[in-house]
Amino acid sequence: MSVEKVFNPKSKIEVLYTLNEYKGDAKLIAGGTDIVISLRNKIIQPKVLIDISHLEELKEIKENAGVFEIGGAVTFTQIVDSDLFKGNLYGLNKSAREVGSPQIRNKGTLGGNIANGSSAADIVPPLIALDASIVLESKKGQREIKLVDYYEDPVRVGDDELISKIYFYKPKENQVLSFSKLGLRKALAISRLTISALLELDDEDEIKTLRLASGALARFPMREKEVEDFFLGKKLCEENIEKAILVFQESLDRRLDGRSTLPYKRIAVERMLREALEEGKNFSHRVVKA
Amino acid sequence: MKTIKFTVNEKGYEVEIDENMRLLDVLRDKLGLIGTKEGCGEGECGACTIIMDGETVNSCLVMGFQANGSNITTIEGLEKNGELHPVQKAYIETGAVQCGFCIPGMVLSTKALLDKNPNPNDVEIREGISGNLCRCTGYNKMLEATKIAKKYMEGEE
Repeated sequence: MSVEKVFNPKSKIEVLYTLNEYKGDAKLIAGGTDIVISLRNKIIQPKVLIDISHLEELKEIKENAGVFEIGGAVTFTQIVDSDLFKGNLYGLNKSAREVGSPQIRNKGTLGGNIANGSSAADIVPPLIALDASIVLESKKGQREIKLVDYYEDPVRVGDDELISKIYFYKPKENQVLSFSKLGLRKALAISRLTISALLELDDEDEIKTLRLASGALARFPMREKEVEDFFLGKKLCEENIEKAILVFQESLDRRLDGRSTLPYKRIAVERMLREALEEGKNFSHRVVKA
Repeated sequence: MKTIKFTVNEKGYEVEIDENMRLLDVLRDKLGLIGTKEGCGEGECGACTIIMDGETVNSCLVMGFQANGSNITTIEGLEKNGELHPVQKAYIETGAVQCGFCIPGMVLSTKALLDKNPNPNDVEIREGISGNLCRCTGYNKMLEATKIAKKYMEGEE
């Protein structure tokens, strides 16, 4: 490592000014769970590090006037412990709970998980299913982008920008956020595949809303529009789940053509899609209609 | 160099550190607290686990300067007035220690678990120590030790 200068700013404004001063030479560090490894392996070699892990203003989870806001430096443990994500939005709780280990969850942050840009970031598919936006702030001002666009466009966080928060509109009470993960072991597993669904069913189990997002099935987490389009207005039943699996697999055949992981992922999505949808359905039967 | 102030095992320190040091390096090389071990150096094994502001962290993934202002407990801080911590006692009695390399981290994860959840079930205990790898024991002894420690800690209150 070759870091020459380190900062412990006391406020977000101080972070933004320091970032602006050092621009490309500086990196933000929050939980450190990815960046410290990159530093030691010299994958990145910033001269300046700015610690944002202690900034209370970036560590808040709030619900206000139908909008949920999660600060960029909120840890996975904070999300797991939050009462806001134990009801119909339990998919967020579940995805945070399955990140790494207790030590990693105590340190790893939402903003870091996004900034790191991994296709296997556990918390990202549920946030994409919620149609979340991220707020980027710099000395010059702030801008917002949809999380899904952040991945699809080459729009990256500028070297003077901070992911200050993530927000999404509160789904209706009868919309359920589910999550399923395939890892190779119970703890400390990097996701092989994750699926998250925001699901709304009517009394006949007909799908009124479906936003489906996947992780580790492409270069980045993404919406699975072909499966969504197939389901819209159809009943969530065994027959349609089987048809949807075929739609999903055909989409993967085109996307992962020539990749060695395709045969594995084709089979794995069967179970994961089924789990995400049935779990969501069971939850809505149990709680929403009760 | 950067000066940081922090509390380790209830004692205040002000130390000058190299900007590139990890918290693990600060604890071991600057303070001589070599109970904290380095295993993988990538946050997988948990041998470097310490308690920072009430939560377990891998000290190999925290930069030294980030500890400025924080309150840290390492394995050296568990013994009080010559008495081992209930978790340490339970580990010894159960024979949950073989080679010992994972034990400082394992004990601290167990303590942090019991501090947050005084009455964990088996699943919660396994989950609580899931970030600490042990290549000797197979974990059943740790599970048993945690249940004994739980009783000791209940008795203390």
